[in-house]
Amino acid sequence: MRAPIGLRISSRRRALGISQAALARQAGISASYLNLIERNRRQVGGALLLRLAHELKVDIGELSGEAEHRLIAEVEEALADPVLQSPEFGAPSARDLVAQQPAAALAIARLHRAYQGAQASAEDYADRLRSDPLLAELLHRVLSGITAVRSSAEILEDVADLDEVERQRFLASITRETRGLTDVARGLIGQFEQEAKGRRPSSPMRELDDLIFERDNYFPVLEAVAGELRREIEAAGPFGEATLTGLLERGFGLRVVRSGGRELDAQGFPGQYHFNAQTRVMWFQTSAIAATRQFQLTRLYAELVASEAIEREVMAPELGSAAARRLGYRALGSYLAGAIVFPYERFLRDAEANRYDIEALRQTYTASFEQVAHRLVTLRKPGEAGVPFGFLRSDPAGRLTKHFPLPGLPMPGAGHACPLWAIYGAFRAPEALVRQVVQFADGSRYLFIAKAQARRVANFAERGAIHTSVMLACDVLHADRTVYATGLDLSDIAADVPVGPACRLCPRRDCPDRQEEALMPGGQPAAVRAPLVPRRFDIGEAD
Amino acid sequence: MGVDVLIAEDEPSILDSLDFILRRAGFSIESVTDGDAALAAIRRQRPRLVVLDVMLPKRSGFEVLKQIRADETTRDLPVMILTAKGQAQDRQIAEELGASSFITKPYANAEVVGTVKRLLAEAAG
Repeated sequence: MRAPIGLRISSRRRALGISQAALARQAGISASYLNLIERNRRQVGGALLLRLAHELKVDIGELSGEAEHRLIAEVEEALADPVLQSPEFGAPSARDLVAQQPAAALAIARLHRAYQGAQASAEDYADRLRSDPLLAELLHRVLSGITAVRSSAEILEDVADLDEVERQRFLASITRETRGLTDVARGLIGQFEQEAKGRRPSSPMRELDDLIFERDNYFPVLEAVAGELRREIEAAGPFGEATLTGLLERGFGLRVVRSGGRELDAQGFPGQYHFNAQTRVMWFQTSAIAATRQFQLTRLYAELVASEAIEREVMAPELGSAAARRLGYRALGSYLAGAIVFPYERFLRDAEANRYDIEALRQTYTASFEQVAHRLVTLRKPGEAGVPFGFLRSDPAGRLTKHFPLPGLPMPGAGHACPLWAIYGAFRAPEALVRQVVQFADGSRYLFIAKAQARRVANFAERGAIHTSVMLACDVLHADRTVYATGLDLSDIAADVPVGPACRLCPRRDCPDRQEEALMPGGQPAAVRAPLVPRRFDIGEAD
Repeated sequence: MGVDVLIAEDEPSILDSLDFILRRAGFSIESVTDGDAALAAIRRQRPRLVVLDVMLPKRSGFEVLKQIRADETTRDLPVMILTAKGQAQDRQIAEELGASSFITKPYANAEVVGTVKRLLAEAAG
C-alpha cells in the first residue's frame, strides 16, 4: 500500500499555518486541484511534488513517507518468515505495527536481518560440507589413514607367524598414519576456527547498507573533500588519465603500467587492475577501458591523499565489525572517486539538462554505464537533490551482487529478485537499454532501466567473459524527469508489468511466472503446490 | 607368465598391507601407484584381476576402468574398485563403467581377500 502522500502534504501545510489556497498559488496549481491531491484523489509526482516539497520546506522523501515504507517492507518480510508461522501467533499487519510501535517494528526488522544473516551462514557451511574441495581432500586423507591403520592392526592381530621385521614394519605404519591423522584433525579444527572468527551473525553487507541508508547515500564531508581534490588535480592539468598518472608518478613515486596476461592482487584475486603497495605499481590489464583507468587512478589518488577523511566515515557506529569497516572503506573510496570524477553541482546540472540520459553523461565524463548509474544514486544533497534512484547489479546466475536501496521499492535483502524485472530481461539483449514500467501488488509503480554488458576481454582465451546487468529504478512519479519516459504512456496502468520483490515475498498467487512458493504471514500454513490428485497430509488440514 | 593381482594404489601404507594380505592368501602380486602405470602394467603383465583405487595420480581409477572395458583384450578382466569416497554417486559410476566389485575404505582385510577369491573363482568359471 502506498503512503498517503496527500495526508502528509495537508498535515505539513497545517503545521506551517499555510492555507490551501496560498500553497496552491505558490506551487502554481489551482486550490481545487490541491484539494484533490490532499484527499489522495489525484496522484502527485515529478516536478509538482518537488515544488510542493520546496514550498513546505521538507525533503521529498519525507512527503512520500519513503523511510517508513522501507521499514514496513522489512517488517512484512519478517512477519512472512516461516519461523513465525504458528496458529497461536496472530500477526498484526506490518503497517499497524510501524504506526503504533515504531521502535518495536525496528527491533523486529533488525532481529530478522540478524536471523537471515545467521541462516545464510548456516547455508554457507552446509554448502562447504557438500562441495568444498579442501574439506573433501581432508576427509579423503582421514579415511585413507584409518584404512591403513585398520588393515595394519588386523595383520598384527590375525597373523600369528608374523616375523619380527614384518611386525616392526606394520607397527611403524600405524604410528606414521596415526601421526598423519592427528595433523589432519588439527588442520580441520584450525580451518573451522578461522572461519568462525571471520563471521558475524549480521553480515557486513547489511551493516554497510545501514550506513548508506542512514545517510541517504550522501556523504557531505566526502563531497567537500572531492571538490578540493578535483581542484588540485585540475591545477596540474585537464582532468583525466594523463594528469592523474603524472600526479601519482611525480607526487608519490608510483608507476602506472599496462600489460596483457593475468596478475593477481595481494589477496590472490584476479582482476583488470590492482595496486601493489610494496612495489608501488598500479597495474592495468590491456583490456581495462579508459573509463576504468580514469576511475581507478582517481580512486588511488583519493585513497592516498584523503585516507583520513574516509577513515573518519568508516568509524560510524553502523559499521560495527572489522569486515564491515573494510567493506565500507572500499565503498567510500569508490564514492569519493565518483564524487571527484563527477563533481556534484556540475553533474547534477548535466544530468537534469540531459534528462538523466546515461549514455550522454558517459560521453561527457569518460565513464562507464555503471559508474554513471552509481553516481546518479548519490545525488541526494538536501535541497539540491536529483531524481531518487535505486541501483542493482546482477550476475548472470540472477544473484544481486551490488545494491543501493530505494526507499519504498520492495527489494529482496539477498539472493535474487523477481525474475520479471528488467535487470534479468537485459541479459536477453546485451548492450541494449531495456526499460520497463512495473507495478507491485500494493499499487506502487516504478520505472526500471537496465543494461547488460560484458567486460572487455584481454585475449581470445578470455572469450567467455560473463555479462553483468545494472539496473536503475525510480518511482513513476519522477519518471517524467528522465529521458527514459519518452514515448511511454505513464498513465496507462494497464500496460504496467505486474511484478513482485521476489517470488517468496510476492503475494501475486496467480503469477504464471512464479518460480518459488510465497511465504505466508504468521498464523497461516505455508502455501505449497498441491499434487495433481488432492490429498490431505495432516489431520485438520484444509483440502 | 602373468601375475594374479595388479594393485593400483598411491597410499604407501595401504599398498603395503594389501600386498601383504594378498600374498599371504597365495596370490602373486604386482603393484603400481598411478593410473598410467596401471594401464601399462595391465598390457604388459596380463593380471587375472585388478584392485583399483579411484583417486590415483595422472589418471583416475574410473578412467583406467573405462579403458579396460573399451579394450577387447581386457574387456572381461575382473576389476575391484577401492575408494575412500563411498557416496552412492561413486558406486553408481563404478557400476555403469562395469566394475566387478566396489569396496569402500576403511575395509576389513578379510573382505578384500574374500572378494578377490570370489571374483577369480567366478572368472575361472
